[in-house]
Amino acid sequence: MREEILEILRDVRSDIDYENEKAMIDDGLLESLDIVAIVGEFNDAFDVNISVDDLLPENFNSVDAMAELITKLQEG
Amino acid sequence: MAFASLQFVIFLLAVCAVYFITPIKARWAVLLVASYAFYLLSSPNTLIFMVVTTVATFLAGRAMGKIQDRYQKRIDEAKEKKDRETQKKLKSESKAATKRIVVGILLLNFGILATLKYFWYYLETILTNAGIEVPFDAGILIPLGISFYTFQSAAYILDIYRNKIRPDKNLAKLALFFSFFPIIIQGPISRYDQLAHQLYEGHTFDYQRIAFGAQLMIWGMFKKLVVADRIGALVDTVFDNPGQYEGFTVIIAVICYTIQIYADFSGGIDIARGAAQTLGITLEDNFKRPYFSDSVSEFWRRWHITLGNWCKDYIFFTVSLSPTFGKLGKKSRKYLGDRVGKLMPVIIAQILVFTTIGVWHGAELKYIAYGWYQAVIIISGMLLEPYLKKLAELLRINTKSFGWKVFAIIRTFIIIVIGRFFSRALSFNAAIGMFISSFTWNPEVITSGAIFELGISRWDALILAVSLVIWFIISVFQERGVEIREAMAEKNVVVRWAFYLLAIAAVVIFGAYGSGYDGAEFIYREF
Repeated sequence: MREEILEILRDVRSDIDYENEKAMIDDGLLESLDIVAIVGEFNDAFDVNISVDDLLPENFNSVDAMAELITKLQEG
Repeated sequence: MAFASLQFVIFLLAVCAVYFITPIKARWAVLLVASYAFYLLSSPNTLIFMVVTTVATFLAGRAMGKIQDRYQKRIDEAKEKKDRETQKKLKSESKAATKRIVVGILLLNFGILATLKYFWYYLETILTNAGIEVPFDAGILIPLGISFYTFQSAAYILDIYRNKIRPDKNLAKLALFFSFFPIIIQGPISRYDQLAHQLYEGHTFDYQRIAFGAQLMIWGMFKKLVVADRIGALVDTVFDNPGQYEGFTVIIAVICYTIQIYADFSGGIDIARGAAQTLGITLEDNFKRPYFSDSVSEFWRRWHITLGNWCKDYIFFTVSLSPTFGKLGKKSRKYLGDRVGKLMPVIIAQILVFTTIGVWHGAELKYIAYGWYQAVIIISGMLLEPYLKKLAELLRINTKSFGWKVFAIIRTFIIIVIGRFFSRALSFNAAIGMFISSFTWNPEVITSGAIFELGISRWDALILAVSLVIWFIISVFQERGVEIREAMAEKNVVVRWAFYLLAIAAVVIFGAYGSGYDGAEFIYREF
């Protein structure tokens, strides 16, 4: 799943070092338009429904946090 | 009470004195009493509206908390039994039950806002147009800070709904969060999870912090009194007499207004943040050198940041990620292509955000036009992005170069300046008329010195020029990450105090205190 997430992220924005970045939201690297695009792609790719309630910085600050959120949503 | 005035400084000194001699645990109560006293001194007839919103929001929050707790118990039981279906069902039931309260309280609070801020205005306009004399002044009924505390209360309720915060159990403490005196006039719109705990916990006396707060207040007063109030004279002359001026006079006036609104609003915010800092409370910043932005969307991330963030969190994401608009986006992909279809929910969300920003300023057409003008530019930028990239490649433009950056900053500034016609002109038609008239070629108004007869003398212009150069240099340093106050604190005592005294003297001597001057008249107070 990690690889797939990285692919989606690189597709949306190619100028961020996703592997090492741990504060993508807190540092303002990802903008609101990027987040909407990423959420849309995640929803399609992993068959989940990320809602506005899940849009907490801690869920999107790093690739691992995103993977964790998706896993949590897949498990219901 | 005037914000940029000696009375306010004395009021703050008194609050600080009482605050720091009161036992730590009770210090929040000093802030509550001070905030209500400030409100009563500034807008006594309208306190009742803030009290209604505070009590209703408190009760709604508590009711939501009780529902969430009740369901959480059952969800935990289902979790123990590993019954996922029941967990899911209970979660959605809990959401539905709290949602009803959210809708009710938002309707009530925004209903009060709409009635007091917009309905009376429309009624007054309609009656006046029909030739009926209006026996009241609708403006008097608008409570101080109503937009600010209403938006804060909406965020509080929606954050409880989203499980981001727990409802406050203490009505008096919540009343302080909604009424805290430095933010009631013009924000920043503060969030419960960022501000409330700072207000409730007592802060100890700290000389350095108080000095920093006082410095920020002086800086804010400099922007407000030396720059905004001085430059405003020319702006008023030209904008209040549409049709009388043209060409360079109009262009200079609209640029002056662009500077005035920034000096006025950010000056007021600096006073608010400085005042809060003396009490040990850190407020969020509302401006990050917006006129250095290289695109309109960046401008909106640097200008009135707390309103932008509010719109982003509660309108933009809610709409752009909602299943309904998601489906609409998927459907529209068929007709508009993959890329535009995907952007559809975002475009709708942007339109709603900028309509809100427009209406925030007032109910008139000119403000809505102001919001939509920004939306059209940002949306066009999104839609044209790939083509503009290709064009830049074709023309071999290095968009990372310094020259391009400067060009982009100037281009953005011009776009923003044009938008200012709408927010300042007397009406939508006046804005359009003034914009068109600005294309007249009449450089003689500058060469003949006629421009100095519109409220800004040559002497004023000199003070303004020096002030703006100082402000610009400070902004460049800040843009490079230099903390001005920290850097000053490292200088020796003579240099430091010479600088402080000079700054205070500049405000006192060069502040524009004309006849009928009112330091409380911040432009954003009206919004």
